[in-house]
Amino acid sequence: MARQGGRATDPRKVSQELFTLTYGALVAQLIKDYEQDDEVNKQLDKIGFLFFACRGYNIGVRLIEDFLARSGIGRCNDFRETADVIAKNGFRMFLGITPQVTNWSAAGDEFSLIMDANPLADFVELPDDHNQLNYSNILCGVIRGALESVQMAVDVRFVQDILKGDNQTEIRVKFIKRLEDALPAGEE
Amino acid sequence: MTIYNMYIFDRNGTCLFYQEWQRNKNSGMPQEEEFKLMYGLIFSIKSFISRMSPVDFYSNSKDGFTSFNTNYYKLHFFETPSGLKFVLNTSLNVDSLRDSLQYIYNSIYVEYVVKNPLCSLNSAIKSEIFKEKIDTYIRGLPAF
Amino acid sequence: MPIFSVYIINRAGGLIYQMDHHQPKTEVEKTFSFPLELQLKIVDERVVVAFGQRDGIKVGHTILAINGDAVHGRKLEDGRDILEVIANSENYPIAIKFGRPKLSTNERIMLASMFHSLYAIGSQLSPEQKSSGIQLLETDGFKLHCFQTLSGIKLIVLADPKQSGIENLLKKIYELYSDYALKNPFYSIDMPIRCELFDKNLQGLLDSYERSGFYSQGM
Repeated sequence: MARQGGRATDPRKVSQELFTLTYGALVAQLIKDYEQDDEVNKQLDKIGFLFFACRGYNIGVRLIEDFLARSGIGRCNDFRETADVIAKNGFRMFLGITPQVTNWSAAGDEFSLIMDANPLADFVELPDDHNQLNYSNILCGVIRGALESVQMAVDVRFVQDILKGDNQTEIRVKFIKRLEDALPAGEE
Repeated sequence: MTIYNMYIFDRNGTCLFYQEWQRNKNSGMPQEEEFKLMYGLIFSIKSFISRMSPVDFYSNSKDGFTSFNTNYYKLHFFETPSGLKFVLNTSLNVDSLRDSLQYIYNSIYVEYVVKNPLCSLNSAIKSEIFKEKIDTYIRGLPAF
Repeated sequence: MPIFSVYIINRAGGLIYQMDHHQPKTEVEKTFSFPLELQLKIVDERVVVAFGQRDGIKVGHTILAINGDAVHGRKLEDGRDILEVIANSENYPIAIKFGRPKLSTNERIMLASMFHSLYAIGSQLSPEQKSSGIQLLETDGFKLHCFQTLSGIKLIVLADPKQSGIENLLKKIYELYSDYALKNPFYSIDMPIRCELFDKNLQGLLDSYERSGFYSQGM
């Protein structure tokens, strides 16, 4: 993904406009191919999480490696820590924004990421016949894929979207369980 | 000082990469079996350590197992939070290679495998440029 | 510099001696209100923190007591299941004590035989001829030193990573073993060592190593 903030002048990086336009083209093509908003949402989530399943191409899983390599952040041992890292490091590094972490559930296993601006949706107006579309649903897949790589199963979904007339964009992240290291067949 | 060989495993135990620079003894089994045995060894050592340890790990920078010595070689181990495991065997007189393994992850694996859309992340790495970069880097280490 | 514990393993991988010398304190007690912000899981019939680390409670800690009542495996002394007690909001506020569990004898026997096989695999996977098994296992929190005698007995010391002179200590333990176990006419080889003199002398040896950080050859 393109990175914002001072990097636009770096000739090796793509400009943010090119990136958002490319993403827009992807969503438009998916709408043409799948027609139903629900199906498009599902596809976007999948692309973020696991695209070209047969080749194992997976944006979230790849981004997290890049993220871990560059940030030098270790394993999280608390979900609040995870939330902070996603917002302050992850979003900042890849989208140039820092969403607010809030609305914690009582058990501390669910939180919201609130974004005032969404660089993916800068030029977007949702047509009336696509009011069910979660335009930026790819972010859900990316978060899910990234966290799965660090042994954490989560559920991620959009609950509010500026594009749908809400005041802010809100992504809800729910902790499901910790995944254990897999042992290959035939051992122990 | 000598660097013998290197293994990279993903978190499912698949051997993504193996290369040897010097090896004076084979394990006497098919390579596939050897990979499984090496992964099993690492996996069991980690489980052994977490039960045996009198102290707590799990702080951010500490993840337990770093190396072991026999009377002839030293096995260096580095694991990323995503469960990627790097194993490097050297002679005994080599100091900790944690930084070098971290470099291989940060600057070779992420750059040439993760960012290469044609490279699958969960099967053996076929990229020639990756192999070349690893080879150059290892040969350039003072420990080589 | 603490020396944590000593293990002796016979040729067949059986644990024949074990002594805990210095056990760091890891216990933490905290009072919680409902719902509990920690993810728990069952490992080896114990309730362990899987996720959620705060106030000194670490991932990997076991529940040791609830409201002051000791815990046995997954149950409280009165037979109630811990997970059920914790899931019930009527039991809150609740005081839970966490810490690293003390290993049971069975677990120690299991770990000893596990190390016995790891030792052998370490030798098998050697890239160099005629390698021994694992002699030194380094972690961020402790080092495990293993000395295998020519007769195949493994002497193992767990110590602080900064403690030096352990190789020498292992040789001293070997001497104690041959003096107070092997030379004892009532001790049969490869069987568990139950000799008071051995205990006493080993204790003294470990104390003196700890005090000095490391011990010079002169002892």
